[in-house]
Amino acid sequence: MAAIIYLFFFSAENISLLDTKVLSLTHLFLLGFVMMTIFGAMAQLVPVVLEVGHFGVELFYAIWPLLSIGTILMVLGFLNYPQLLPYGGTVVLISMMIFVMEIFLTIKKVEKLNLVITSILISNIFLFFGIIFGLVMALTYAGIIETDIYALLRSHVFLVIGGYITITLMGLSVVLLPMFGLSHGFSKKPLEIAMAMMSVAVLIVVSSSFIELKILNYIGYILSILSLIVYFYMVQTIYKTRARKEIDIYVKSLLFSYFSMIAALFLAAAYLIFDFEPLLLSSAWLIFFGFFGFAITGHVYKIIPFLVWFERFSPLVGKEKVPMLTDMLPKKSSSAQFVFSAIGVLVIAIAILLQDDALIKAGASFLLMGALALVRSVFFMINYK
Amino acid sequence: MYSKEELFLAISNVIDPEVGFNLVEMGLIYDASCDDEGNVHVTMTLSTKACPMHQLIQQWVKEAVQKMANIKEVEIELVWEPEWNVTMADEHVKKALSR
Repeated sequence: MAAIIYLFFFSAENISLLDTKVLSLTHLFLLGFVMMTIFGAMAQLVPVVLEVGHFGVELFYAIWPLLSIGTILMVLGFLNYPQLLPYGGTVVLISMMIFVMEIFLTIKKVEKLNLVITSILISNIFLFFGIIFGLVMALTYAGIIETDIYALLRSHVFLVIGGYITITLMGLSVVLLPMFGLSHGFSKKPLEIAMAMMSVAVLIVVSSSFIELKILNYIGYILSILSLIVYFYMVQTIYKTRARKEIDIYVKSLLFSYFSMIAALFLAAAYLIFDFEPLLLSSAWLIFFGFFGFAITGHVYKIIPFLVWFERFSPLVGKEKVPMLTDMLPKKSSSAQFVFSAIGVLVIAIAILLQDDALIKAGASFLLMGALALVRSVFFMINYK
Repeated sequence: MYSKEELFLAISNVIDPEVGFNLVEMGLIYDASCDDEGNVHVTMTLSTKACPMHQLIQQWVKEAVQKMANIKEVEIELVWEPEWNVTMADEHVKKALSR
């Protein structure tokens, strides 16, 4: 919500890769919404996927306040107070280190690694290095040390976005999509290929931060685009083999999420050809707010009803009539959230390409309506009695 | 003491809250038997290994059987072979899911 309100203060002149408002908004959305949701989901999903208990699930209670404080300090730091960046960066680093170490120690309890566990392991290794690069950048912004911030930015972005968020989503997709769609009989081979390609792409881009060879960068970028295409192929096979054909708010959200991903890949490919920065920014926008954003909100409509049902209604099973999970979905507000947010994401993607102030405000208005509907939906599900 | 059909009937009171069908019509209960002393053995599966409710569902199956008269012990065997797929579900379930 805060990230969306923030969009109203953007103008065309802010549409640049290293603009402090862009960096501030990106960190607010990715740390405050995407990472926070992924960490919360991991607290719930890791024991299910790994089939072992957490090493220390209590540690998650320390992660979210630290991540919240760190995020706020970083957002303010990018905006107007660069001296706050090292503090914000350090607090974020501490919270993420706790998360990464907890995950590593939980994985240590697993006897046999499977594909999904491997994806969690790889993505957390990338996160570990991604946040170290991030802290070095924060220290550079604050003027404490001197480094080549452009070179570090590429590594930081690829380690966190490609290495952590994308590989985590890839690994979780192979568990969650078939579980909710009742899909069976699809091959997991494309996931192996996609993960390997993305991992190599991240390593190549990180290497290019230290070796002055432009071709390396391009190989890394192209490999990451190809990795997402292979991943999309696997998602499509899961979708085709699903037994549940209903197009509910979950499926709609995922369809828009993957549509955004494909549109973003086209824009990224166009950027590599035309070297026009708004193409890259529009692609990043679609990846963050379209692909990540809708993949998360779609799952919110599955996970919150489940958690509430588990807590409130599962003890009553067999004793009295209990609701089905689908009864706990707010039909109108979830539809409103989907429609307003989807229009908002598309309008802003176009606004970035055209560098149009009025369109940014228009898109932000749609997104604000969508965010309000999401908040309403979340309250409906949490308070369902 | 109880036939497979009687045990299946008792277990059919257990509903998967995610899909809204009972476990028997979903085809998740593979077998059930009861000896003369009232010891019940249920062989079942789940639609996915990652099902977050796997312990709860097994508990519900146990409780559904225990509600029958003179039941001594209920043992649940969770198996992954053969792997469940929608062809194992009843026709009306398949029809409803494909809508």
